[in-house]
Amino acid sequence: MFSYNFKYELKSLLRSKWLILLTIILLTLVLFAGYSGKKKVNKRVFDIEKANNTVKEQDITVLKVLDSIEKGFVINQNLRSLPTNPMNIGYSYPRVAAMYPLETAFISTGQSDLFTHYVQPKAYGDSFFFNHAEFSSPIQLLFGSFDLAFVIIYILPLIIIAFSYHIFSLEKENGSLKLMASQPISIYKWILQKTMLRFFVLSVIVVLVLTIAFIINNYNFVENLAEYLYFLLLTLTYILFWFTVVLLINIKVNNSAKNAVSLLAIWVFIILIIPAIIAQAANTFYPIPSRTKMITDVRALKDDVSKKQDKILDNFLRDHPEYASNKKQNYSFWHKYLASQDLVEDEVKPLIKSYETQLLKQQQWVKLWQYSSPAIILQQSFNDIAGTSTTHYQEYRTQVAKFSAKWRDFFVPLLYNNEKFSTKLYKQLPTFEYKKPKYTSLLFKASIVLIMSMFFLLITRILFYNKSKKGTIIN
Amino acid sequence: MIFHVVKKELQETLRDGRFKISTAIVFVLLTVSLVLTFNQYQYNNAQYIEAQKNERSLWEEQGEKNPHSAAHYGNYVFKPKSPLSLIDQGVEKYTGISIFLEAHNRNEAQFSNASDQTALSRFGELTPSFILLYILPLILILIGYDAYTKELEKGTFAILKSQGISNTKLLFGKWLSVLIPIVTITTLLFLFGGLILSNTSDIGVFNWEALGVLYIVYLIYYLILTNIVLFISLIAKKSGVALVSSLVFWVLACFITPKIASNIADSKYPYPTNQEFSKRVAEDRKKGLDGHNPWSEEAKKLEEEVLRKYNVDSVHKLPFNYSAYRMQKGEEYQAKVYAKHYSWLDEQAQKQEKVYKSTSMISPFLPTRFLSMAISRTDYQSHRDFSEKAETYRVKTQEFLNGLTEKNSRYGERYVASANAWKKLPKFEYKPPPFSQILNSNTPMMLILIVWFAVTGAVLFFINKNH
Repeated sequence: MFSYNFKYELKSLLRSKWLILLTIILLTLVLFAGYSGKKKVNKRVFDIEKANNTVKEQDITVLKVLDSIEKGFVINQNLRSLPTNPMNIGYSYPRVAAMYPLETAFISTGQSDLFTHYVQPKAYGDSFFFNHAEFSSPIQLLFGSFDLAFVIIYILPLIIIAFSYHIFSLEKENGSLKLMASQPISIYKWILQKTMLRFFVLSVIVVLVLTIAFIINNYNFVENLAEYLYFLLLTLTYILFWFTVVLLINIKVNNSAKNAVSLLAIWVFIILIIPAIIAQAANTFYPIPSRTKMITDVRALKDDVSKKQDKILDNFLRDHPEYASNKKQNYSFWHKYLASQDLVEDEVKPLIKSYETQLLKQQQWVKLWQYSSPAIILQQSFNDIAGTSTTHYQEYRTQVAKFSAKWRDFFVPLLYNNEKFSTKLYKQLPTFEYKKPKYTSLLFKASIVLIMSMFFLLITRILFYNKSKKGTIIN
Repeated sequence: MIFHVVKKELQETLRDGRFKISTAIVFVLLTVSLVLTFNQYQYNNAQYIEAQKNERSLWEEQGEKNPHSAAHYGNYVFKPKSPLSLIDQGVEKYTGISIFLEAHNRNEAQFSNASDQTALSRFGELTPSFILLYILPLILILIGYDAYTKELEKGTFAILKSQGISNTKLLFGKWLSVLIPIVTITTLLFLFGGLILSNTSDIGVFNWEALGVLYIVYLIYYLILTNIVLFISLIAKKSGVALVSSLVFWVLACFITPKIASNIADSKYPYPTNQEFSKRVAEDRKKGLDGHNPWSEEAKKLEEEVLRKYNVDSVHKLPFNYSAYRMQKGEEYQAKVYAKHYSWLDEQAQKQEKVYKSTSMISPFLPTRFLSMAISRTDYQSHRDFSEKAETYRVKTQEFLNGLTEKNSRYGERYVASANAWKKLPKFEYKPPPFSQILNSNTPMMLILIVWFAVTGAVLFFINKNH
């Protein structure tokens, strides 16, 4: 009986225009999303490369000058800006601390439009105040990006709803359900098979279309196979979840128009309302301390410290670091600056940390409550796969702060030992490499979505049983 | 006759369980969102006032100091919340709240809310505008999708016609009955919002006029949607099809078009990266006068010029402190460089806006979204206005500080201003542009919205006549 059912449903699916329309819509959406995602990633790489190239060019000139000085040639250059002064290198020739996109970055824009992907920490300046905000049109941020994650999380369920909202009720309304009941197959088995067949067909189309998008984007399947498979697995469990919801509503409501309305309400709740409520709750329970207050606090603190600094640092030099290296005294501006900088940083640390901890707490809250909506689970997982989650950027910020300290610390001994900077030391300059953080197992997340689907399926079975006992399934 | 239609339809809607549940949910959501945004608003406002006060007292109590040291110490200016941000927070989440004003550099606004929140906040927020823009249209679809199809399905269309009602009258009745519930909810929200705002102290420039215009914008939005939903119901044969088609329109208009528009705008007129922008500015700055660098060619040129003008042979003989004069000239040059680059950025933003405007032809959501932000003064334009006024204040502050040294000391002297000098700097008072100016600059969007209404109305009317 299964094969009859399967054959009939497949034939009627293939014959209807729905399937072609569905494929075309999905293909267009996915290809456009994949294309614009890739375009963003390319721009990101291009920007980083450009900065890297500038550094390389500068390096060549500086190395030449250093080489000439070491060989004893006379250099026609302003004495203050000679690269033999280590602090000049530390201030004027910073490295690029870049966060290169992962191969999978095109999947989900995540937080990547908010934050910068490369900074150049200098030996001078507040490393804790490092500005990680990116220049982008706020309207763009408000509307968000059209990426693969959006197509899968928002649009795919709507397609499933539009495709199957009357999968059962239509049979009842057309009167074919009564005929079906006279056949030697249980109605429940039959509708389950019918739904699963649709799930199967849609899954094949989605996997195909997504794979095409990956291939077009030159995805390296050999190296990043796991990410690709996880991405598909999550998408498939999400599709399954929505089909079980559709089935449940079909059995429960069993009226085409009412089905559609109920399904839509569920869509709005799972995708719009629940995430908004959880985000709001995170802000309410773990409010980020006021930045306005922080600004005034930090300034008051700096004011305090600078009063202490006055003993070691004379005002003029603090305002004019560029004069400092000119002074031929034992303790230059840099000596005093670096000393006072540590003082400021130590004092400000707890304040700055309060923001990071609060954000961490918010994230833990979201991590816990993401299981209230498969849409959140998917968004979080996609951001994790794409390397564009809040955690990724927070990790990057931490790594940059560490690198910034390392960069400064590289020059401190040179400065205090009165050592000159040389070509040999140039090779030892610290470099930055971004290491991505670990995240919750994707397999675990996929299985949670699967369990949700199974739960809905179970409820459907119970409902069906109760309804058929009462005899309200067919009539 | 119209009255009977309206009465019957409304009664039907009110008896519908789905309508009851969804209106109840919308009311709960609206109340929650209003309470939340109001709390947030008051919290932010209190902080704004406190921060501004603290900031000013820090500035005034600097003690004896060289004015240029004070210029490097700098000051922060804070953006006040606009009262109507209670209804629509616009892009406020993505623009910073404060700008640091210092010598030589123009800084961007720092610390946007979005960067301090988890990725979840990108899904959307529970604010009145979210409900007005996304959820109420959905309720409207829910009420109106089967306005005509149900008559076909139940076979009541012929009976209805036999009562002697004209197509136009029937349409008008249905039209009103779809609109009335939505308009009631909206009116209540706006009345309530207005009452809250007019009864709260510390309100900036709240006026009922702006709230009224905002109300009208949303009404037009719902009128357009009613036209479209009824149009679909008229040409569809089945309720299910009508519902799905209306929903497709909703998703296209509210979700897909804005995102596609933003993708196109961004790839066509991209913003530079933060680093790239600073690099460009730095390159231009190198070409001109730097107040801290007396050895550059530009500095020498200026020196010669000034000496010639005052007919003296040494800067020591000038009647003012020449180094402060040079500092000010350098400041002016740097301000010009910033003005150039920021106006380029501004052009880029305006080109992007044109993309949004042209996509507004496809989706009535876009003009509504933009008008709503503009009237609430939470759009990008308002932010730019604030940022420009802060820059003007920065330039004036530098002029004031350099002037102190210039007038009160001689070349080569290290001038220390007295402790009470800082109080003389005028306070920064942000005056947002008048409401009429906002209306004027948004007339095109308003026109687009009206055209949307006129066209959908006309199509609906003619289709209905020949039905």
